[in-house]
Amino acid sequence: MIQVRNLHKYYGEQQLFKGIDLDVQKGEVVVLIGPSGSGKSTFLRCINGLEYFQEGEIHVDGIELHSIERVKPGRKDLEAIRSIRLKVGMVFQQFNLFPHMTVLGNIIEAPVKVLGLGKNPAVENALALLKRINLEGKVNCYPGELSGGEQQRVAIARALAMKPEAMLFDEPTSSLDPETVGEVLSVIKGLVDEGMTTLIATHEMGFAREAADRVVVFDKGDIVETGPPEEIFTSPKVERTKTFLGRILKI
Amino acid sequence: MKNSFRIFSLLIGLVLFLSWTVSSQPRETSIDKIKKRGYLLWGSDAEGGAPYVFPSPEDPSRLIGFEVDLAEAVAKELGVKARQSQNAWDSLIPALKRGDFDIVLNGVEITPQRNEEVLFSVPYYIYTEQLVVRKEETAIRDINDLKGKKAGTLSGAVAQDILEGLGGVDVRIYSGQVEPYEDLAFGRLDAVLLDLPIAAYYAKPNPKLKYAGPPAGEGFYGIAIRKEDTGLKKTVDEILGKLLRSGELKKIHEKWGLWNETQEKLFLTVEESAGPVIIEESKKAPLHTFFPMLLKGAGITIFISVVSMALAVTLGLVLTIARLYGRPPFSSTATAYIEIYRGTPLLIQLYILYYGLPNIGISLSPVAAAFLGLGMNYAAYEAEIYRAGIMSVPKGQMEAASSLGMTQPQALRRIILPQALRIATPGITNDFIALFKDSSLVSVIAMVELTKTYSILAATTLRFFELGLIVAFLYFAMSYPLSLLARRLENKLKGPGR
Repeated sequence: MIQVRNLHKYYGEQQLFKGIDLDVQKGEVVVLIGPSGSGKSTFLRCINGLEYFQEGEIHVDGIELHSIERVKPGRKDLEAIRSIRLKVGMVFQQFNLFPHMTVLGNIIEAPVKVLGLGKNPAVENALALLKRINLEGKVNCYPGELSGGEQQRVAIARALAMKPEAMLFDEPTSSLDPETVGEVLSVIKGLVDEGMTTLIATHEMGFAREAADRVVVFDKGDIVETGPPEEIFTSPKVERTKTFLGRILKI
Repeated sequence: MKNSFRIFSLLIGLVLFLSWTVSSQPRETSIDKIKKRGYLLWGSDAEGGAPYVFPSPEDPSRLIGFEVDLAEAVAKELGVKARQSQNAWDSLIPALKRGDFDIVLNGVEITPQRNEEVLFSVPYYIYTEQLVVRKEETAIRDINDLKGKKAGTLSGAVAQDILEGLGGVDVRIYSGQVEPYEDLAFGRLDAVLLDLPIAAYYAKPNPKLKYAGPPAGEGFYGIAIRKEDTGLKKTVDEILGKLLRSGELKKIHEKWGLWNETQEKLFLTVEESAGPVIIEESKKAPLHTFFPMLLKGAGITIFISVVSMALAVTLGLVLTIARLYGRPPFSSTATAYIEIYRGTPLLIQLYILYYGLPNIGISLSPVAAAFLGLGMNYAAYEAEIYRAGIMSVPKGQMEAASSLGMTQPQALRRIILPQALRIATPGITNDFIALFKDSSLVSVIAMVELTKTYSILAATTLRFFELGLIVAFLYFAMSYPLSLLARRLENKLKGPGR
């Protein structure tokens, strides 16, 4: 479903990715872990074109994206990015709900404006999604009136309303109060259980162990190790993985 | 520039005027003071131009003109030197009254209203009003042919009263004496009526213009002196009589091409110089009679402001989007536009639009020039307010919209701009109120809006204080509801969630 090949990325002189590869199968759940600044988020953002990269290629369900220039991406690149975004949903650490629209408005905006869906079916679909995340009562609320956990659940529903074939989660629980982390993770877990192809960058090791088909360990822009969760968490082979897990599990 | 200076000086004048009325005390006679000081301070406006008092073309730091010569002659008779004191023409009389100078000598017509405020010497010149038309004009032979025509004149001049007294004439008021003749040559006016000395200097040399009929309507220029300076008035009268009899006055007038048969009558006024020439019994008009004119001016102010602001907010949005999201030729053009329009005075832009463009064949009506001038200028400011609004929307909003597959225009229209506008609303309201007041600048292009109406009325009636308060109130009454409206709009845009 998603193939990343030989990805290079620089910030000016500084090099972040020195040619990394990753393959994600349809229905697979891949959890990206690693220290802050190791490149997990940037990697996810490269996949749907929110970040440019200088070398390498990304394939999403047959759509090919080559290195993108930052200043003036070509028309072909823009078209490829847009087709990828229509297949892949994204959830951000800061939720990024539209503050001037109600919960319902947030969810139906893209289906109506981008997919050209009629307003009635869009609303119907939105209500079904809200039921699924247990927020039917908040249909007409504005994001400012919701808790962080509620906002993030709406953000997930907003992405799902586009009927994506894969989902990218960029540290979805890192800005949440501890007591609301669970409700968001359980929504993601439900999605994973239904077979959604999922890439998720997170510090929630419990969730990684429970939900992941595969864990990918990032460090300093490099993929240092990859394997099934039980293997990574119980008998990591690489020293850098051990150091990272040692630090995070001690806390 | 000239206008804001004038408004500023009016305000200062008001304050000084008030404090003067409170603190005026008997003092030594003016003649003693002048002699002790060693020079005669005479007030005039060099902006008024030739042939009265104007900067010498050869040496702009030196003033010349027939009134300069006359002031020097009068001072010489007093045994002192003459020193000119610059003051906006409209407010020469208030400035004289508060003691800025000893006399005013600057083409001040002797009128009943002014007679109430100051003393006048015997006349030193008999002016006539000269009608000027375009060379090819045949229909207008004298002022009686002006019905239904556009006629220009100077603010506060006697010619203005004559034109308005005719009825049915579309009278256009100017604050400078060059502009009406320019407009006549461009075809924006059908005729110009102004004092003959002005016509002789500004219209006669212009090959596109000609005199229509003989000069009409006589009036007198007198030297204005403070009411309490009766001694000075007597001395000045004596000096003028002496200059007239000795032929020196005639020599000065002849030097500037101003002597004609009419001036012979000056001898009559000197012979019977019992007092200033009073044309008719003066009456003070009640305040409410000014309201129709002031309200009309206010209406024009609102009209200009609203249309200009509509242009400014629309064009501003286009500019800011071009600047932030446009490809190189568009973005740099927008940036250049903003910098140029913000970096040059609105007044200059108005002059170029209205008086400059006809030179390359584009002649705008005053209304169109006012809209374009104000609208295009304010668009630059609105663009920057929008830009600040857009930049303060978190980056994540655009990313979220893009990740949902929205195109950049869609994301801008639906997600970014609604949030940016909410942030920009207080700034835009602020600018709207500023534009309301800046709209007074369009009086330089012959639009008579509220401030211009005020300066015209105040200059002829000299009631700066009462009229000023009324006009200030009118401006406030227009801008305050606007603030309230904007506040309501902000609350509405806010939405319950924030």
